Amino acid sequence: MIEDWKSYEPLLIPDIPNLHKIDVYEENDGYSALRTVLNDQEKWSRTDVTNEVKAANIRGRGGAGFNAGLKWSFMPEPDDRPRYLACNGDESEPGTFKDRNIFEFNPHIFIEGALIAAYAMSVDTIYVYIRGEYIDWVHILEQAVEEAYDRGYLGKDILGKGIDIDLHVTYGAGAYICGEETGMLESLEGKRGYPRVKPPFPAQKGLWGNPTTINNIETLANVPLVINNGAEWYQSIGAEGHNGPVLYGISGHVNKPGVYEYPAGMSVEDLIYEVAGGIRGGKKLKALIPGGTSTPVLRADQLEGVSMDSNSLRDAGSMMGTAGMVVMDEDTDMVDLLWRISHFFHHESCGQCTPCREGTGWLEKVLLKIKNGEGEIKDLDLLLDVTTQMEGRTICALADAAAWPVRHTINRFRDEFEARCKKSVHAVA
Amino acid sequence: MPEVFIDNERYEFEGDQMALQFILDLGMEVPFFCYHPSMSIPANCRQCMVKAGQYIKDQETGEYELDDDGNRKIRWFPKMQTSCALKLSDGMVIQTQETSEEAERAQKDTLEFLLINHPLDCPICDQAGECPLQIQTYKYGPEGSRFEVKKVHKPKRVQLGPRVTLDAERCINCTRCVRFADEISGSKQLTIVSRGDKNYPMTAPSETFDDPYSLNTVDICPVGALTSTDFRFKARVWEMNQTPSIDITNGKGCNIDLWTRDNEVLRITPRHNSEVNDYWMPDEGRKAFEQFNNNRVSRPSVKLDGDNHSNTSWNNAIETFAEALEAHAPQELLLIGSPHASVEENYAFNKFFNLLGASTAKFIPHLISGYGDDFLITDDQAPNTNGCRLISLEETDSAGIKTAVAEAEVVIILADDLVGREALSADDLSAKYTVSLATNKTLTTRASDLVIPITCVAEHAASYVNVDGRIQRSFPAKETKYTNRRLNLEMSEGRLDRYGTNFDNWVKEEHKIDCLPAWEFLNHLADRLGLEFQYDHSRTIFAELSDQIESLRGVTYERMDDEQGVQLPIEQNEVTQA
Ligand SMILES: Cc1cc2nc3c(=O)[nH]c(=O)nc-3n(C[C@H](O)[C@H](O)[C@H](O)COP(=O)(O)O)c2cc1C
Ligand code: SF4
Ligand code: SF4
Ligand code: FES
Repeated sequence: MIEDWKSYEPLLIPDIPNLHKIDVYEENDGYSALRTVLNDQEKWSRTDVTNEVKAANIRGRGGAGFNAGLKWSFMPEPDDRPRYLACNGDESEPGTFKDRNIFEFNPHIFIEGALIAAYAMSVDTIYVYIRGEYIDWVHILEQAVEEAYDRGYLGKDILGKGIDIDLHVTYGAGAYICGEETGMLESLEGKRGYPRVKPPFPAQKGLWGNPTTINNIETLANVPLVINNGAEWYQSIGAEGHNGPVLYGISGHVNKPGVYEYPAGMSVEDLIYEVAGGIRGGKKLKALIPGGTSTPVLRADQLEGVSMDSNSLRDAGSMMGTAGMVVMDEDTDMVDLLWRISHFFHHESCGQCTPCREGTGWLEKVLLKIKNGEGEIKDLDLLLDVTTQMEGRTICALADAAAWPVRHTINRFRDEFEARCKKSVHAVA
Repeated sequence: MPEVFIDNERYEFEGDQMALQFILDLGMEVPFFCYHPSMSIPANCRQCMVKAGQYIKDQETGEYELDDDGNRKIRWFPKMQTSCALKLSDGMVIQTQETSEEAERAQKDTLEFLLINHPLDCPICDQAGECPLQIQTYKYGPEGSRFEVKKVHKPKRVQLGPRVTLDAERCINCTRCVRFADEISGSKQLTIVSRGDKNYPMTAPSETFDDPYSLNTVDICPVGALTSTDFRFKARVWEMNQTPSIDITNGKGCNIDLWTRDNEVLRITPRHNSEVNDYWMPDEGRKAFEQFNNNRVSRPSVKLDGDNHSNTSWNNAIETFAEALEAHAPQELLLIGSPHASVEENYAFNKFFNLLGASTAKFIPHLISGYGDDFLITDDQAPNTNGCRLISLEETDSAGIKTAVAEAEVVIILADDLVGREALSADDLSAKYTVSLATNKTLTTRASDLVIPITCVAEHAASYVNVDGRIQRSFPAKETKYTNRRLNLEMSEGRLDRYGTNFDNWVKEEHKIDCLPAWEFLNHLADRLGLEFQYDHSRTIFAELSDQIESLRGVTYERMDDEQGVQLPIEQNEVTQA
């Protein structure tokens, strides 16, 4: 658990006015990591960069927590095919709104990170895919990209060091599934955002069949920090096995909702009561969704001593996800909450896979019935059955993401659900 | 050779193979919907799930590792695998629904999901009886339903294009139709619209699904979501008989099935032949059912004044024909064979009149240049142009035939609407005595003095040589007035007969055409003229041909049946050019 967080100085989004402007970013040591690498490509060979990032163990901030450097190392040896880095800024999971802050306040750190990643993987083209609802932030990023082109950080012969990398910003039309990495690739190709069957994995066959790596925006923003300060330094921040700074997106019934940057492994208590100013109206904490709505909800009594890192959250019965924390006070109606979450996944299932297409709708409809006081106890068991029938049987993880909240919310708040159900005919008789 | 273990049996395999196809090739079964052997594998229906893992091999020795009981150690994959997309690897272990309760359970669960929003309107659905969803639900599905909330409603009776009607509620979103238009026909006219359980296939706004191959989507749709606008609600599949045949509407010779009831052909579907048409056929070929049923020449007829014809008896027709032949010298006869008729018909026709002393029949290929595509539609509008060449009929063109007609007194035309396709005009024939042996009423039969009704491809066994030089044959699918099906071996061989069920109304006379196989008619004519010409069967004709013609040596109906047609040693360019 992080004790000295109060003295923590933000690294990803330091409190510097106008940092989104390239002059300000450069004045504050911006693009120095890129320069370091490109100026001494002998010392910083592509493999060296990858290894350093691998050693730092930047855990993917898109939700799955995969070691970024390790993922880069899956790219095959360059051949005559184009190679891509696809940056995932789709950020559509309810409770998650942290990449937005990077676009708004420090877009260049992301661009710099993406460039280093591209260099390390011999990528020639970077795509950034941003959810369409973020059109204002798309414009901010586009502005930053233009500046980076002007200053020679992007394009042909970057900084005169013989490296060519292009970056294109594009945005979606409002589909959560286009944040799933292969759904995003389809969408980038101009197709329906239908996630792909894996294998083949994107590193083998990604965009237009070419080697592609997908990383989250925040993941890539961590890269310049690692290059500037070294893997060892990075490892010294945060929790065991889960390092570095994390953008905690805290929403719900707190006094000061927002995005807060602190080391990984912050105590949940500190985040809710200190950082986010405590529960609104002095109410009691009832439950927390720790990392976006697909991560299992935890009851207040399950949160004792829990910190925001993957090990601690796993032990508590949930996951780190995107660190998008949804805080709920004692007045929260868990039936309503779960119905609303299920409504989201029902609405967002792409509909390819039978268990997800049909299961998400079934879950929502039964939950609606229970919410309306028309459910029966057997419906709760049916819901649990349906989640088992969905989980692990689909092309992408949306079905799992839809199943888990239902299973865990019912199991962890069963009384509340039963209380909303009609007494069964037999019980009355 | 690498090995896999499926349901505890060991099998060897070679190369890149997917588990599902491998299992199907072994004659075993795993239920599936979205997979189609000729298209990409989206693995979206999730029906074909199996339990799979890998025997663990010792890295050094390459031997399988054993546990304490001496059994091979297995590393099961953490999730159920869709067998359609599961590439076999050495030492893979697969348990299907036969040996794994988990697999059985997963398949049952998927079927339950598929059915919750399905309208379950089998009693009024065209697909019932040949519906993979129905069949697999019976075999592998759950009993009853636990779905007690409202089903999703979607558009019904949507006219996707001129020939295909969509009921979106029945759709299970397998994307076969979309993939067909993307990958096979290439029209790319379909996509899935909306999202989640509201998904269904659609064209782009204001586009229409007029793909010349659109009806193949009806065949491959695993439910009754896509139906043939023509065939909708016409017949239940179990009321029909299914007979293998050949598409005669163009030169490709797509392998097809004719579906008959009450001596009418109600629909035509493609029959798989990887050498010719794979699983597909053009929509045009399916339309041919109309020409088998309607507008047929039934009973011989003679021309009265003007264009009016009057039916006449077979005896009278034979007598009339014979008298015309007797009144003219053989040099005054002009015989026109036909790329629209079979090898046997052309051969018998030519031979008969050769016996009378007439010279070899001419024929005119029926080509529309630029009409074809690089798939299954050909410039050649006829099924047997190469068959005419094979038996050395004299190939000519419109100008050639006009000259020949001008020089002749009697013109005898075998099954070819020369006037309709403007190779001749009615005027060309007006001063001649014209006899047509024909299946359908055409401008040519109208211009003929005597019309002899003959069997069409749906009524006889005969062979056709396609543009690529492949000889394939038909089976009789419907009876004529003179078919004795118990004696007619061909019919019982070809038809998947449902004779004896309540639905087989064979006895109905009204749909039987009063016609004869061309050779049969010529037998009668030969009797009258005292010619040595007697063929009891098209097989006899074919046997004679294969004795005579080098490239037909060893070719028999049996071989055509066993090998789905026989590729003849004919030069490609010889056969494809005009
Ligand atoms: C349904 C679904 C939606 C997702 N949405 C996002 C998203 O909006 N942003 C994101 O970065 N990752 C999202 N992911 C995770 C991505 O698939 C992928 O794991 C991630 O972008 C990889 O980047 P990382 O390794 O840097 O975290 C989603 C995954 C699923 C299954
Ligand atoms: S799991 Fe759901 S969202 Fe993911 S591919 Fe399948 S249907 Fe689409
Ligand atoms: S209409 Fe038929 S073929 Fe097309 S997606 Fe639906 S079920 Fe599949
Ligand atoms: S057949 Fe394998 S998933 Fe559909």
